[in-house]
Amino acid sequence: MKKSNKNLLISISVAAAISLGLSACMGESPKSAEKTSNETKKSELKKAIDGGVTYSVSNGKFGTYYVNEDAHSGKINFGRKPTKAEYKEWNSDVMANGEGLPEGEGSVEDGEEVYEAKCVMCHGDFGSGGGGYPSLAKGNAYELQKTLKNQRIKPDTDGPVRVFGTYWPMASTLWWYIKDAMPHPQTGSLSDDEVYALVAYILNINEFEIDGEEVDDEYVLNREKFLKIKMPNANGFEPNITGPDAPKNIRAYYSNPANFGAQKVKPAERCMHDCQEKTVKVVYIKNGGISDFHPPLSDKRDLPKEKKDNANFDAAKAYADNCAMCHESGAAPARGDKDGWSGILEKGLDNVYAAAIKGTQAGMPAKGGSSLSDNEFKTVVNYLVGKK
Amino acid sequence: MDNKKSQQDIDMSTRRDFFRRTAALGITALGTTSIMASEDGHDSILKPTKWGTTWGDPVTKNLYGVPSKYEHNVTRRYTKLLASGNFRASIAVTPIQESKGIITPNGLFFSRSHGGVAHIDPNEHMLMISGLVKKPLVLTMKELMRYPSVTRTHFIECPANGGQEWRGPQYNSLQFAKGFMSCAEWTGVYIKDIIKDLGVDPKAIWMLAEGGDSSKMGRSIPMEKVLDDAMIVWGQNGENLRPEQGYPIRLLVPGWEGNLCVKWLRRLDFATDPWYCKEETSKYTVLKPTGKAIQHFYANEVNSTVVSPSPEIDWSDLKDGDTVEIEGLAWSGMGTITGVDLSFDGGKNYVEAKLKGLVLPKCWTRWSYVHTYKKGEELLLTSRAMDDAGYIQPTIDQETLVVGVEAVYHRNAVETWKVEKDGKITHVEVRSQLEQKPNGELVIEGKA
Repeated sequence: MKKSNKNLLISISVAAAISLGLSACMGESPKSAEKTSNETKKSELKKAIDGGVTYSVSNGKFGTYYVNEDAHSGKINFGRKPTKAEYKEWNSDVMANGEGLPEGEGSVEDGEEVYEAKCVMCHGDFGSGGGGYPSLAKGNAYELQKTLKNQRIKPDTDGPVRVFGTYWPMASTLWWYIKDAMPHPQTGSLSDDEVYALVAYILNINEFEIDGEEVDDEYVLNREKFLKIKMPNANGFEPNITGPDAPKNIRAYYSNPANFGAQKVKPAERCMHDCQEKTVKVVYIKNGGISDFHPPLSDKRDLPKEKKDNANFDAAKAYADNCAMCHESGAAPARGDKDGWSGILEKGLDNVYAAAIKGTQAGMPAKGGSSLSDNEFKTVVNYLVGKK
Repeated sequence: MDNKKSQQDIDMSTRRDFFRRTAALGITALGTTSIMASEDGHDSILKPTKWGTTWGDPVTKNLYGVPSKYEHNVTRRYTKLLASGNFRASIAVTPIQESKGIITPNGLFFSRSHGGVAHIDPNEHMLMISGLVKKPLVLTMKELMRYPSVTRTHFIECPANGGQEWRGPQYNSLQFAKGFMSCAEWTGVYIKDIIKDLGVDPKAIWMLAEGGDSSKMGRSIPMEKVLDDAMIVWGQNGENLRPEQGYPIRLLVPGWEGNLCVKWLRRLDFATDPWYCKEETSKYTVLKPTGKAIQHFYANEVNSTVVSPSPEIDWSDLKDGDTVEIEGLAWSGMGTITGVDLSFDGGKNYVEAKLKGLVLPKCWTRWSYVHTYKKGEELLLTSRAMDDAGYIQPTIDQETLVVGVEAVYHRNAVETWKVEKDGKITHVEVRSQLEQKPNGELVIEGKA
């Protein structure tokens, strides 16, 4: 099982020499060779798949760490075999070739219905995103895939569009991710058919075609059609990670610093004087930058402020921060929606409090996903249902 | 819950202190300091102190200790700009400006989750090892922790550390500019020690690591790394992991993207192909100006920062002629730090700094340079690290010319603090303006 890396035992000094040409030094270099503080001898360093080096245990030591080599013989074993049912339950991954993808079907129309009920509150109308939640579509994926070369190097330029249709290499990712990790407050709650329907809807808003057929409003997706999806940006990634040569390809890619913006240099030959491009300028933070820090930055050693008591609690702000996302988007009754609330309040306010604090099957997360206290949250419920 | 409890303790003791002081000393307003200096000297020395003359807490209080209440500003911080609206797919970052040595305390270790911080019952939690192995395995936590343990000190860095600043500086803060990382002493087991006897098929060149939290976060990891130094860890700085770090177990992939260090780990699966997980396709990929994106970009490359001074803890209180230590951190996920250079002019000219303390592979390394401060001087402090894999930190121009400004991840170009005339520190970048050719290639604007 241990991989043979003999052909990779290239000493690091050789590697550094090969890459000399990449040094961008424009001036003089230090006179003496850099002393290395690393205890590992250079000849012991092996080149790793990631472009770096790895270390091995020798004479009971791993660098500065001591090792009891007897403990790592592989003779120590615990545990048991999983049952078939256990394996099946957890083996939920869907691979790019369709392995793990169950049979099922769902229409764009059904998908839109599930989307409006369970997804729109975060992902927005037609997958527009917002509020820190990802966009699912921005329009025609085939056209927008061409934006991936866009670089915002000047003000007021458009950036690349990186959504499912324009960017992702594989469709399997979407199916698997929705099934296992969505909807975010209640993951694993969608049936296979609901997932097919949602995927159909997301393909629809990305204006996809499958096998020459437009994924229009009438489209019904199933396993067979799913496996024919061709992602517009399937060839947009490097290095090549498919097939048995993947490790070799990855290693080759990261052995060339020019591929990923890295610089190699012999320590003694690194630039010490006049090392910048002549064109550089000092660039300052523009428009105040980002300073929305919580809690605000401070290095003071003082006593913490007393916590606000309940009387000062701002229910309106807590509502806006934690609840409005669903309650003002149509996914749940809004503030002031008397008809919407009258039926619910018939169950008694205490039951409404309890449901709000614990969460509900209908999708309301416990305390709306906030970290408010029970009493604070009751104040928010009062604010929402219109009770003084 | 524990945090809440300790916050209550702090609140209560604060209140008690308030009553005690107002009663005993008759101070009229909080906020005016009771410590005064006079010609005779300082009251802190001349007068008895409250803590020097009265009982402290009994040892029965805070059986799990909490920091001094005066340290309440030393805390993780978050910004809404890096969060889903519900703060469950978000990050809270480490106050690097307050870091000591090379270990981050567990309560300050940066916290990133994709479905919130899960609270797992270790008695119920299992690890399953499956796929292309002759002997698939289920382990209870108790069984897992009987394997021979290994203790190693490694940093974990989110590859989006500094990822908001590709187009220019954004944060006047070390905590937010570089705090998507922390360093700890981890205890766990090498995965190679568990799977040696399981009969892994030689065709299995990939391993899936998957979490048991609500996000089921997964990543594909090449077998070569699994058989090198990848670990399953349960210990962090001498105690079991905190929930924010994946209690009871997480993956540790030394030097590689923090995202690969899957928390709340429940499954390792082996296969002939990678899984194209959501976090290795839609995210954690580096889009270049060519329109091609780097996928499976594993190692956090050689990097460094000046830690003292910082925008948070500056030099505005220094006097002319004071000799101060400029201190910083350097780290590389590709090997061991071999040296750090420091520039006072934004990276035009460099001098060698000294390394201090332990220098370990894939670990934070402290460095130092002694400087005599001239009141009113303006400096551009830039540090530049090297590692034993032969890499040196690139300039911003060198890095962006290759990967552009839309990469989001893996930004390791040199960083610059400007020391202003009044000793305050401003985050700046020293770089050229770029332009893009029709084929996508980036070039420096105006370079002859």
